[in-house]
Amino acid sequence: MTRDEERAVALTIARHDLTTILDHCSAAYPNEACGILGGTNGRVGKVYPMRNVRPSPVSYEMDAAEQFRVMKDIRQAGLVLVGIFHSHISSPAYPSSVDVEQAYWPGTLFPNYPEAVYVILSLRDQGQPVIKGYLIRDGAVSDVPVNVE
Amino acid sequence: MPIKVRIPTPLQKLTNGKPEVECSAKNVAEMVDVLEKDYPGMKDRLSEGGKVRRFINIYVNDEDIRFMNKEDTALKDGDSISIVPAIAGGR
Repeated sequence: MTRDEERAVALTIARHDLTTILDHCSAAYPNEACGILGGTNGRVGKVYPMRNVRPSPVSYEMDAAEQFRVMKDIRQAGLVLVGIFHSHISSPAYPSSVDVEQAYWPGTLFPNYPEAVYVILSLRDQGQPVIKGYLIRDGAVSDVPVNVE
Repeated sequence: MPIKVRIPTPLQKLTNGKPEVECSAKNVAEMVDVLEKDYPGMKDRLSEGGKVRRFINIYVNDEDIRFMNKEDTALKDGDSISIVPAIAGGR
């Protein structure tokens, strides 16, 4: 287990970064939106709103080229991938079976991004968005508090 | 100078924890075979029926092979390969 995995007991995000996530997800509504969170020690340092190449109210897939560029940018900035976010349009802020399946390497229980907190923003009630964080690994989904500062 | 292959975390179990390995191959399909020889299990993780698995992205010097010649994308010594799981989901 890496130091970052050990520290993924909470994700801390600044209010203006949370606003960036909310704005990106609201702009994509009624389709799902997605993005990447770079940072250190469970603290978000940079939000990367990403293009959803499979836009619909029930799916997302990041643009592969953009994903590659962003991950490089994160490394070069001395950050790590601390989170992956996406929105749910008509379901709670909890990973769906598809979310869980896609968190693992195809056909295995090896988590693709074990260090990342999966952040889900539910827009089921647009007036009251709900944001929650999870680790998806070891065949289980566990809650990770998202603290807004 | 051999080809350098960055191995993603979920496959590092097959490379004894190494995040980067080296090999020689003339294209991506051959690279998968060479990796399988050195790190058994790799071929099944990366491909299915001779094609790179859906939701697995392979980049040659920062270019996605889907926009090159896919499995036939030519490789040469000194190339840098990245294997990156796609980020997707939904519902």
